[in-house]
Amino acid sequence: MLLMLLPIIPLLGIFALRGTRGKSINIPFVVSSLTLFMGQQVLRHALGGNPLTYRLPVSGPYVPTFQADALSAVFVLLTAFLWWIVSIYSPEYMKHEGGTRRFEISTLLTLSAILGVFLAGDFFTLLLFFELMTVASFFWVVHRWNNEAIRAGYFYLFFSIAGGLLLALGIVLVGTATPGLLAVGAGPVTPTNPQAFSWGVAAIAAGFGIKAGMAPLHLWLPHAHSVAPTPASALLSGLLIKVGAYGLIRTGELVGWGLELGHAATWLGPALTLLGTCTMLVGVIAALLQSDAKRLLAYHSVSQMGYIILGLGVGLFLGKTGGLGLLGSIYHVVNHALFKAALFLGVGVIYVRTGETNLYNLGGLWRSFPVTAVLMFLAVLGITGAPGLNGYASKTLLHHAVSEAARTGLPLMVWAERLFLLVGVGTAASFAKLFYLTFLGKPTKLAISGGTSQRFHVSMAALALIMVGVGFRPKLFLEALAVPTARALGMETAAATIAGLSFWNTGDVVGMLITLGLGMVVCWIGLTTGAFHWTPPRWLTLEGLGKIVCYGLGAVSRTGEGYYRSAMELVSDIGSTIISRLLSACHRLDHSRDGTIGNITLAGISADAAILLVVLAVLIVFYAYMEFGLPRLRLPASLPTWLRIPFESVPCLIAH
Amino acid sequence: MTDLALALLSGAVGGILIGLTPRAGNRLRNIVALVFSAASTVFSWRVAGAVFAGRTIRISGEIAGLAWSLQPDPLGAVFGLIVSTLWLFAGVYSFGYMAGEHKQRTYYTYFLLAFSVTLGVAFSGNLLALYLFYELLTFATYPLVIHERTSEAMKAGAKYIIYSLSGAGAILIAIIIVYSWTGNLEFAGGPLLAGGGLRPGLGWVLALFVAGFGVKAAIMPLHRWLPAAMCAPTPVSALLHAVAVVYSGVYGILRVIYSVFGHELTGQLHVGRILPWVAAFTILAGVIIATQQDELKRRLAYHTVSQLSYILLGAFTLHPWGLAGAICHMISYSTLKVTLFFGAGIIAKRTGKVRVSEMSGVGWQLPRTMAAFGVASLGMIGMLPLNTFWSKYYLMRGGVATGKWQLALVLITSGLINAFCFIPTVVAAFAGERGQPTLETGSGTSLMLAPMLLLAGIALLTGLWPGLVWPGVDAVVDWFF
Repeated sequence: MLLMLLPIIPLLGIFALRGTRGKSINIPFVVSSLTLFMGQQVLRHALGGNPLTYRLPVSGPYVPTFQADALSAVFVLLTAFLWWIVSIYSPEYMKHEGGTRRFEISTLLTLSAILGVFLAGDFFTLLLFFELMTVASFFWVVHRWNNEAIRAGYFYLFFSIAGGLLLALGIVLVGTATPGLLAVGAGPVTPTNPQAFSWGVAAIAAGFGIKAGMAPLHLWLPHAHSVAPTPASALLSGLLIKVGAYGLIRTGELVGWGLELGHAATWLGPALTLLGTCTMLVGVIAALLQSDAKRLLAYHSVSQMGYIILGLGVGLFLGKTGGLGLLGSIYHVVNHALFKAALFLGVGVIYVRTGETNLYNLGGLWRSFPVTAVLMFLAVLGITGAPGLNGYASKTLLHHAVSEAARTGLPLMVWAERLFLLVGVGTAASFAKLFYLTFLGKPTKLAISGGTSQRFHVSMAALALIMVGVGFRPKLFLEALAVPTARALGMETAAATIAGLSFWNTGDVVGMLITLGLGMVVCWIGLTTGAFHWTPPRWLTLEGLGKIVCYGLGAVSRTGEGYYRSAMELVSDIGSTIISRLLSACHRLDHSRDGTIGNITLAGISADAAILLVVLAVLIVFYAYMEFGLPRLRLPASLPTWLRIPFESVPCLIAH
Repeated sequence: MTDLALALLSGAVGGILIGLTPRAGNRLRNIVALVFSAASTVFSWRVAGAVFAGRTIRISGEIAGLAWSLQPDPLGAVFGLIVSTLWLFAGVYSFGYMAGEHKQRTYYTYFLLAFSVTLGVAFSGNLLALYLFYELLTFATYPLVIHERTSEAMKAGAKYIIYSLSGAGAILIAIIIVYSWTGNLEFAGGPLLAGGGLRPGLGWVLALFVAGFGVKAAIMPLHRWLPAAMCAPTPVSALLHAVAVVYSGVYGILRVIYSVFGHELTGQLHVGRILPWVAAFTILAGVIIATQQDELKRRLAYHTVSQLSYILLGAFTLHPWGLAGAICHMISYSTLKVTLFFGAGIIAKRTGKVRVSEMSGVGWQLPRTMAAFGVASLGMIGMLPLNTFWSKYYLMRGGVATGKWQLALVLITSGLINAFCFIPTVVAAFAGERGQPTLETGSGTSLMLAPMLLLAGIALLTGLWPGLVWPGVDAVVDWFF
């Protein structure tokens, strides 16, 4: 019962918004504090290993169920916390953007939807909140209602709708392949029809993959995240795409975490590894080439989601020994939410004061924004994985997992490990670029507007504090939250895998430092040679390819429609020709003054007599047929039976 | 039995009474129309209730030696419920929409007559009664199609008559053949042709039936009368050309497959195996053509063509899941489509805009209308809080369960194309200049707006709680399987 209350609180907040029109009460803040408190109270047991479930007492084919196990609890608490941070930040920011109320309504709706997704106990409820989330967050993306925002909004909406439809298809297929209802968090399924199950899992993974920004389905993400107002971007990148990660973890659960190979849908692990690696690579390369700070961050969301997907893939691939992959992914979900939110909030501060997000127009801002610069620097260290901050912990875990997979000798895993390091260098390079161009370098000529920044600093500092805390005690989170989560998912060996693990060994630290150093070098080369301004040709980008495909499809559909139209016209032409011929024949019959119809001369015969004659002729033929029958039609033996039937059945009809 | 007779008669009597009211008596006419359609609705609800409770209600007689009968079974009851409930909504909407239009007396007369005839189709107990009411429906709705009396309307009317009557001719031939085989046309005793095995010519009879009823069910390429008939007043387009008339065709096909042939026999025929693909083609082609239409009502009409084939697709899978999906879709699609049409009517009436390309800014003038329109558009995609999701879900299950997984893909693709069809309209309506919602006031508008919002609400409610309509769906599936 209390589980259902959590998604309802934000909805009540919307009513509260109506009641407090014109008063300066920060309803989202109140709501998210309440959610955080309630969530912590309700989900304590779930974290302790006692999952909660609640079924709505209704009849019919759909009984909404809610459940909370440790995984749901981690995600719910993360959501509530991040919303709480952003709701401190957003009132000040939205003064500059306008449309505060609209923004608050869609924020609350999205919060409700996301909590619902994480607490859903069956796949229908999950899909319900998933679709609600799509619609609610669409209003974030189109908040500015200019052409660019609407274009991005369409991109976002259509991709998300396709995701929802794929999920529905997956639910149908998996539902056909398994007896009983599809519950979330019920562990692996034993399919009766492995093929349908396999395709169903593929459809579900693709549906969540769209949300998670998995290549090649990530196209919507950079557009949507860069045009939304900054608090919304922070939440979109910090949490909304994590819904995709959550879904993929749940998909993995259908197949089975920690099972030996040989179960149904064995391909899921390697497939996720491959797609995760591609996502990392595509995201980081695109990010290096961006000049807009928010787009750069958005592409990095793609890339970091790649880390998470890669971890999940490796975890599934390794089966029983894959605990590190799963733990690393869950850990990275949390860490990425923290530092990506901080980065977006920092960029938002710069945007509010300067009205600019193009990196090449900024520079030397550390003088005007010392606090923001320090906090941003911490976040940059976090995302690049510098030792001492939170990113280091999860990236190390993921790297261990990938190395372990690479030891199996499978070329895919070996390459995944190599590319993992390369992406680390790219990440370091692009963030060096972001930080250098914004805060260091030549001072900008833009006018800087004043205003209070306390709320901005407080929210960012809270994030930074946790990042540093997690960074110094990396095992704390793992033991307190991630291990129970993995155990709840069925990964019994998770605790054992991290028992002997030390984050502060020389190999990892030095490796990370080398990566960072290389990143700086790449950044320096890129900035001095202008390689960061390179725009790839259209056929090389996925978006360009997508456009080409869309135009192709459009052309095909137009051609098809043209053919269809001309066919229809032909049919109606034939029809009207026949009718008009018949009409004119009758007409001439009626007015045969000269006594000819066609070439036959019928002088002296009136029209009535002619009709009578025709009827008589028909009757004579008919009676003749009834008396003597027709000579039997010999049909060729090759004629299909369904064509033969009418000829043979005509006599028997009349005989009856 | 009295309920059944009263349900059918109150529409007819009301129609005749309206014909007798003075031409200028708007008030009186509206009252008569409301009272009689409400009465008809209540009686058909009672009939449906009795049918679901398992009672047999039967009226029968003879015409020229041929027996006709009225005996609703669960399928007929569901159809009757849909039609009668929506008729009430459309009636109220008509009071708002038709105020100030010409020829109101004719309009309401035939509006009520058509009600009674449609209920006749729904409650018919044998093929003869079904055929008679099906034919009558053409004539009862013809005056509504040509209501505007423009040359375009007359042309559309002629098209409607020619298409419908040729279809009815095909049905008549098929009925004669069936009668010559069995000597019996009743639905009640299980599938008519089931006992006779694979008679020669069976496939052709099925094809004749499907082609005949398919005219009203707008199977491509027999659909062309439907977009043309959109020149009728909007309540007529909403109720008759999106639900009642077209559903009578769909209902006929359902009857033919499940009561005349039976699902087992249909599955053995070649034609029965081709039919799902015909429906799949119509689904995709209809919605693709719909995206190309600029006139909103025409777009909705082509969309109707596509959506009707969803129902047929479910019926043609010959699987309990598929039939459940078909019945679900009959219920859910009708609520949402009427909502969409009501929205189009309000927009046309209050702003004079009938084209999608002119919609910019309409959303701010008519916020509640466009919000409900948006909700219904999301439903047409098959998003979850709306009831169409459930029908789509069961249709897909039916397709997958019979091994035709491609049908599920067709439905998914169609959902995405539906998004392209309606979402830009809604977004464009809110994207333009921000105005004040000045147009959405006045009693006339609220008479149109209230039914629309209520229907959208019903769609949401039954989407969240499909258990509300499930007993009806279940009863139909149980009846035939």
